[in-house]
Amino acid sequence: MGEIILKPKVAFKVPIIAETITPDNFAGKSIKEIEDLEAWEGNRKTTLGELFEITGAPGETPKDTKIIIEGDVKKVKKIGCKMTDGEIIIKGSVGMYLGEEMKGGKITVEGDADSWIGTRMKGGQIEVKGNAGDYIGAPYRGDTKGMKKGTIIIHGNAGNEVGCWMRGGTIIVKGNTGLFPGIHMKKGTILIEGDCAGRCGAMMKGGKIAVLGYVPSILPSFTFEEIKKSFKIKGEKIKGPFYVFTGDLNENGAGRLHVSVEKNKHLQFYEKFLE
Amino acid sequence: MEILIKNGYVYDPINKIDGEKMDIAVKDGKIVESVGSNAKVIDASNMLVMPGGVDIHSHIAGSKVNSGRILRPEDHYKDVEPRTTVTRSGVGYTVPSSYTIGYRYAKLGYTTVIEAASPPLKTRHTHEELNDIPLIDKTCYLVLDNNWIVLDYLSQGEIDKCAAFIAWILKALKGYAIKIVNPGGVELWGWGRNVESLDDQVPPFNITPREIVRGLCKINKILNLPHTIHLHTNNLGKPGNYRTTIETMDAVKDLADGKPNIHVTHVQFCGYGGDTWITLRSGAPEIAKYVNNHPHVTIDLGQVVFGEATTMTGDGPFQFILQSLTGNKWKNADVEAEGSAGIVPYKFKRKNFVNAIQWTIGLELALLIKDPWRVFLTTDHPNAGPFTEYPRVIAWLMSTKAREKTMERINKRAKKRSVLPSVDREYTFYEIAIITRAATAKALNLTNKGHLGVGADADIAIYNINPMEVNPSKEYKKVRKALRRAAYTIKGGEIIVKDGEIVKSFVGETFWVKPTMPEELEKEILREVAEKFKEYYTVSLENYIIGEHELARSRSITVNTSL
Amino acid sequence: MKTISNVVCPFCGSLCDDIEVDVENGQVTKVRRGCAISIAKFTKYGEERIYKPRIDGKEASLEEAIDKAVEILANAKYPILYGWSCTSTEAINVGIEIAELIGGVMDNTASVCHGPTIIGEQDAGISTCTLGQVKHRADLIIYWGCNPAHAHPRHMARYSAASKGKFVKGRNERKVIVVDVRKTRTAKAADIFIQVEPNSDYELLTALRWAVKNGELEQPKIAGIPAEKIEEIADMLISCRFGALFFGLGLTMSAGKARNIEAAVSLVRELNNYTKFVMMPMRGHFNVTGANEVMAWITGYPFAVDFSRGYPFYNPGDTTVVDILTRGDCDAALIVASDPVSGFPTEAVRNLAKIPVITIDPHETPTTMISKVVIPTALVGIEAEGSAYRMDAVPLRLKKLVDPPPNILSDEEVLKMILKKLKERVG
Repeated sequence: MGEIILKPKVAFKVPIIAETITPDNFAGKSIKEIEDLEAWEGNRKTTLGELFEITGAPGETPKDTKIIIEGDVKKVKKIGCKMTDGEIIIKGSVGMYLGEEMKGGKITVEGDADSWIGTRMKGGQIEVKGNAGDYIGAPYRGDTKGMKKGTIIIHGNAGNEVGCWMRGGTIIVKGNTGLFPGIHMKKGTILIEGDCAGRCGAMMKGGKIAVLGYVPSILPSFTFEEIKKSFKIKGEKIKGPFYVFTGDLNENGAGRLHVSVEKNKHLQFYEKFLE
Repeated sequence: MEILIKNGYVYDPINKIDGEKMDIAVKDGKIVESVGSNAKVIDASNMLVMPGGVDIHSHIAGSKVNSGRILRPEDHYKDVEPRTTVTRSGVGYTVPSSYTIGYRYAKLGYTTVIEAASPPLKTRHTHEELNDIPLIDKTCYLVLDNNWIVLDYLSQGEIDKCAAFIAWILKALKGYAIKIVNPGGVELWGWGRNVESLDDQVPPFNITPREIVRGLCKINKILNLPHTIHLHTNNLGKPGNYRTTIETMDAVKDLADGKPNIHVTHVQFCGYGGDTWITLRSGAPEIAKYVNNHPHVTIDLGQVVFGEATTMTGDGPFQFILQSLTGNKWKNADVEAEGSAGIVPYKFKRKNFVNAIQWTIGLELALLIKDPWRVFLTTDHPNAGPFTEYPRVIAWLMSTKAREKTMERINKRAKKRSVLPSVDREYTFYEIAIITRAATAKALNLTNKGHLGVGADADIAIYNINPMEVNPSKEYKKVRKALRRAAYTIKGGEIIVKDGEIVKSFVGETFWVKPTMPEELEKEILREVAEKFKEYYTVSLENYIIGEHELARSRSITVNTSL
Repeated sequence: MKTISNVVCPFCGSLCDDIEVDVENGQVTKVRRGCAISIAKFTKYGEERIYKPRIDGKEASLEEAIDKAVEILANAKYPILYGWSCTSTEAINVGIEIAELIGGVMDNTASVCHGPTIIGEQDAGISTCTLGQVKHRADLIIYWGCNPAHAHPRHMARYSAASKGKFVKGRNERKVIVVDVRKTRTAKAADIFIQVEPNSDYELLTALRWAVKNGELEQPKIAGIPAEKIEEIADMLISCRFGALFFGLGLTMSAGKARNIEAAVSLVRELNNYTKFVMMPMRGHFNVTGANEVMAWITGYPFAVDFSRGYPFYNPGDTTVVDILTRGDCDAALIVASDPVSGFPTEAVRNLAKIPVITIDPHETPTTMISKVVIPTALVGIEAEGSAYRMDAVPLRLKKLVDPPPNILSDEEVLKMILKKLKERVG
């Protein structure tokens, strides 16, 4: 497997757009050719070579190409855009739109990742060891086509609107999330292992959400169905018990929302509907 | 600047020139007999030369169009136009930004476009946008049929006063023609309701849609306006509405004097047979038959091109139905004392039964109506698709093969229900020139547009296709390709497009009518209108009026009325 | 002395156009029909004015100031152009061309007030109207998270609760509901006041929609309101003839922001299955609506437009100026007719103070204090004419009533000079 290492030459001040950083663009190219790939520094067109010190050698195919980014790329947007295979490892924090329209391969971020991770993602895997911003897997404004396939795992906390307009795939947040996880989701699965700030599944039409931690309340347009012992995600069983709700009924939705019984004593009043 | 366009095959139907190889001379923005030896020569050998296109019905500017832009960021972000040294940046796709609209029309060889529906209260907005549409000449129709002052006068039988009011408002707001949109129905939408027939009562005005249409048709004649009334029917978008369409046409038959006196617009949307969406069928044969037998009617198609569209009309209740049917996002915008617009994004799909029927209706109308001078090419941009897709429509009209190709891919049930497979008519280039420029210019009475006779505006489109060699019936793809990007577009005597790219940009004219009126009558009307204004509007009359200096390039057209 | 009538008031989004003004010796001396804010605006416009351009705090000629501004903007890699809600549509139009030319980010103050309204609309649409429609027809009016009695003083009398219309003749023929976190002056004048728990508007809107759909509310209390009360209000909404929901920053800035608007849009849409219902944002600055309109027709997007790659790109959260400043992404700023230093979060202001700022404004503000270049201009609607859009997007023409101070040009003129020099430089 070929390995290419990118190191920022300076600390970036203005936003950088570097959608060319993908195994697909690097595979089979010389260092010189990779250095010549286009990027944007604010309003100036530039090249990867101007921005990064580039060493190593890529593989012949995307699958055989691993890109390692050393240093802080918090201002760099669109890394891994449309990648189909191979691997990107970011040994720091990364900017917005990581893995936009990604189709395959794997991206790992050792630090934090900014908003719109995996926007309109169609496959592959993104793993963030730190925290994530808002709108994981969401499309751009006004669009209804969110993440379709693939897996996103956040080890830290995530912001608002995790899995907005999601159409498939899996998102796992090991920490806490902000408001509106699974808003407008149609299909797919979201697992939140920590607490959620609220409004889970707002306007969802389908799909599954599970929260293992605390939720302040359930939206009034969800109806309580039952208590279930466990929740299944990617073949793995996660122990409950869970309060299970269906919604969003305002949207004639049939999404399933699972909320830990143990961590949500304030929802006990729903149990009266069990009789 | 002088230009000599040499050796092109010229299609100029108004001057009865049908593919003749000839030269066209241009000087100071006009077509002239001849030019000097220093003139810039354009070698148009083996090319197709036509007058610049004239689009009689398109939504390009104003509050409704801009609401569509704001509503749909997802429409734009994959279709972008970066700034160049000649052009401003912008976005497409179904609702492009203003500069992009001008450039894209110019690239198609179109040089005059009419905004089809401007609510008077927001017409200042329309003009501000028209000012920012480069290259093409333009104007707007004013929506007047649900206007309370009009309804007051009509219900009291005060046709002359109503005519005077309309003369005033066209002049004050810099409009071109009377637009009618679901007469009566839109007023009722103020209460969330609609009309269902031409004879429904519209409270509290005690008037019917039929009376509104007839009244405005009479007024149009009194004012001697350059265009006829321009009408969007009642019951638009409902199965079975072809009957309403024919009934509406018939309602003004007795008012005609040999010339067209009504234009019914985007007839595809009001050409539905059947009773429900399940029994839906085309009503085009019936409408075509009526039009063929009645010279007082002109229509345009509102042809569906499959793909993304943004429906936007001044027909609030219709848009409400559409949002219920689709569940798509919906904008409604009522305008006090005047009307209501609505917007719903829509995607026309080949495999969808209703959409496929809709596609057949437009083409059937174009092919079954015999006189091309009375049926015009539109997609009711962006309602049935963006104007940039006109070349696709032209290919369907010129080639049975092109139609068959598409028919193979549409909903089977829809295909079975259509007469389209049995229609073998194919448009010629001459007829295409009629339905895209000559006839529309004539219907708008723009005497300097739509033709290449001496004295006409030098608005010219040159396409890189040899009409003597290419057989459009078989090689429709070549036609489509050539018409998408003009080899040259000349506007007002300036070369603005070369090889499909914009090479020069400037602001075109905005024209508007100035109907004459006796001073005394104008004073009297203004006195009455001022009173009504205080009651009906939340702005003052003075601030409603649009100054000529608010138009970037104003061109008024004086109209001699019989007031 | 001369009297000018039908003057459009350039203060709030109500854009009242019936003001009468006396002008004597080049000064406005009397204002009739205006609200207290309007009168203050028309008569005290001469206070806190700047009369001379400045560079680094020192007086400079207009030409020097423009040259300096051009130099800063032409060299910037990611400049922001912000403000625009208190100037003419024509001036904003020129600003857009500057932004495009230099590859900057053009954003208006909607970004920090009704931006969420626009984003909500982009997901769900909106059923709206012009103000006259409410005046003529609305027999039920809701003010949600807004306080027109304070912020839009003539709104209720001219356009809404207490206006006299064709079909609905006045306040006693209308039912007025106020939803807010505290009992405001507007709430005191309402028939029904609903005190929603802070940051629970979304829950309440969702519950109302579900109740309108005749769903059962399983929770006894939502957003602090008993379920029965919510059902009662839902019935009231269904049974009006024409309902209008006005909303303000109390809704757009409470938890959920754009999603609150989407929920309100969805409720109103649902209500249109039963009756006629519309909604409208209470826009603050007099031409913030115009800023959205003109940006949309030229760029396709109503605010937060990033031209850095030569074409318009829009994604609030990324391309909104307040977020850009908070992240410290920009390296120069052009501020027109706005005072972000007073209104923006601390971190954003701190980053703004680190970069060269050019401010074009008639008045001295905390933002002019931190600016490298300051260019004073005329007040549009008093000293210059131009177009502006009312909160319901009705365009009106602002008048020039008096001459500006000597050597002071309008925003539009100054921006055109900057644009011209930038074109010479950048091409």
